[in-house]
Amino acid sequence: MSEYKRQHWAAAIDQLFNVIRANLIPFIILFVVGTRSSDSMVFWYVLLAGLGFSFITGILSWFLFRYRVFEEELQIKKGILIRKNLYLSKDRIQVIDITEGIVQRLFGLVKVEIKTAGGGTEGATIRAITKSEANALREELRKTKTIEEGQEEIQSEVVEERVLDSWKITNRNLVKAAFTSGNFGLIASILGATFGQMESFINEENIQYLIDSLPGLNNVTLIITGVVLVIVLSWGLSFLGVIFSYSDFRVQKSEKELLITSGLIEKKHITIPFNRIQAVRFVEGVLRQPFGSGMLYVESAGFEQNQKDRSIVLVPYISKHEIQGFFERFIPEFETVSFEVKPPQRAFFRYLRRPNYLLLILLPLAWFFWDLGWVLIFSIIPLLYFGWLKFRDAGITVKENLISLRFRNLARTTAFLLKKRVQVVDERVNPFQARKKLSNFMVTAASGSAGIQFEIDDLDGTEVSKLRDQILRKTI
Amino acid sequence: MNGSPEKRIDPNAKKAWRITGLSFGLFWFVIPAGYFLIFGKAIEEFSVVIQAVLSLFAITAYIITGFLLPSLRWERWRYDLSENEIDLLRGFIIKKRTLIPINRVQHVDTSQGPVYRKFGLSSVKVSTAATTHEIPALNEEVAAEVRNRISQLVRLAKEDV
Repeated sequence: MSEYKRQHWAAAIDQLFNVIRANLIPFIILFVVGTRSSDSMVFWYVLLAGLGFSFITGILSWFLFRYRVFEEELQIKKGILIRKNLYLSKDRIQVIDITEGIVQRLFGLVKVEIKTAGGGTEGATIRAITKSEANALREELRKTKTIEEGQEEIQSEVVEERVLDSWKITNRNLVKAAFTSGNFGLIASILGATFGQMESFINEENIQYLIDSLPGLNNVTLIITGVVLVIVLSWGLSFLGVIFSYSDFRVQKSEKELLITSGLIEKKHITIPFNRIQAVRFVEGVLRQPFGSGMLYVESAGFEQNQKDRSIVLVPYISKHEIQGFFERFIPEFETVSFEVKPPQRAFFRYLRRPNYLLLILLPLAWFFWDLGWVLIFSIIPLLYFGWLKFRDAGITVKENLISLRFRNLARTTAFLLKKRVQVVDERVNPFQARKKLSNFMVTAASGSAGIQFEIDDLDGTEVSKLRDQILRKTI
Repeated sequence: MNGSPEKRIDPNAKKAWRITGLSFGLFWFVIPAGYFLIFGKAIEEFSVVIQAVLSLFAITAYIITGFLLPSLRWERWRYDLSENEIDLLRGFIIKKRTLIPINRVQHVDTSQGPVYRKFGLSSVKVSTAATTHEIPALNEEVAAEVRNRISQLVRLAKEDV
């Protein structure tokens, strides 16, 4: 592959779609403002001009984008006004992701994303090429990489690509995952805010009309139905969201990496080399706890990822009893353990007390704004229960190669960190803790281009020193 | 916290921090000044009591940020280097102890602002793949020494593996 090549022309369409998607919000604003003004044609002119412009740039950038693999490098020429030559040397390429977006699917094509290590360095995206071309390109880019890493022959390439084991989400678990997705709280607040904005629709007259026309409807039932409606609607949306993003979720294991694929409309592929895995988290959301299930995330270092989703979903829904089996099959470095070090009994009341501090702020506020605000005092009971749960769940164990710790916010998280991947160990003591010889203990692992910190409250001070020694001794 | 680190940072840190504290502390006076500017003209709404309380608050806060905090902060800062880890201890109300394994260090650099330069101070920044940590206000030479020592240790640790 020494000649420069162009992508499939569908790349231009894909880029156009991306421009539209990225500008959806300004577009909507423009639509609302534009169609309200007297001369509504202006909006359509602006829209047409914008679309035309994006279309032309799309075609131009497709025309000017050329790539080739030459002398251990992926070379790319691109750019309309500023011509850019991008050289990515093979041995710096960390991850090659092959994805199918909607546009790519229409034409039977794929998108190839090439990611290099470390923050700040540039990766490359080839928007649309045929599957066979993509595979050839991947093979080409991988070939010398294996030699670089000290593998003797190119033949080992074949071994590396072979799928050793694979796991697929069952439909039953997918539905369970969608059913118990905690996202609906977030969507509900968004929906609530949107309904709040629809003042022109929800006004006195309409409400009066509703109350008159429907028997048994008064202000109270109206509010209740409204709230129920919002909850049901947002729950439905979150249900669909989970179904769409985790349909056909697969984990495949090969010699050197895990490959995760998922998605109904937009296929996502994520490759995680084993030597980049830093930690694994098992998160049991509030709704999933009754089923003894949760989501498994993997933290990997050095990707160019958004801050928001630097943790990668490894399994969307798994019972806690199945985790050990999953670990053994896919990431044998990890194992589930029982928690040996727990907060001492003298920390119990600190745990009970802590969630209740929230009341110190909320109670006066609620009372101030609302005559019946004092009823909030009864929330002390669930808050105490919550504190007790936190106390019961907190724990940490340091093994030969693995640190496991468990803590609860609302969801219960069990984190598994490879000892050799620990970046920083912290201990924090406030004056009240100092009196009782308690400390908070924190372990930080790398995740994406930043870090992820796990914290356990109120462990015994000497126990913390011991843990610290255990963790650091082996890292050296 | 047993086996705590021993080394202190440079005593000049107090002076440097006092200067920065005293200059940035001036912002506290924005509150009483703002109150005076907004309500000062309308006599009936202006309250001498509120003005006095706000001014007193600003003066106290100014003294704390300008004099008390720099000394306390210096008093409580400790660090240490060993061939295996970097050890940091700081905080006067909430104490925080951080241990960075040497072989996790990605890079070290020293930096110096205008105030630090005046007092011949320099701070050392240690970055890992996840976090960045700072040892503030070391004597320039000490800072350079610390930086070189860390990078030397890192090289040794990495060769070992």
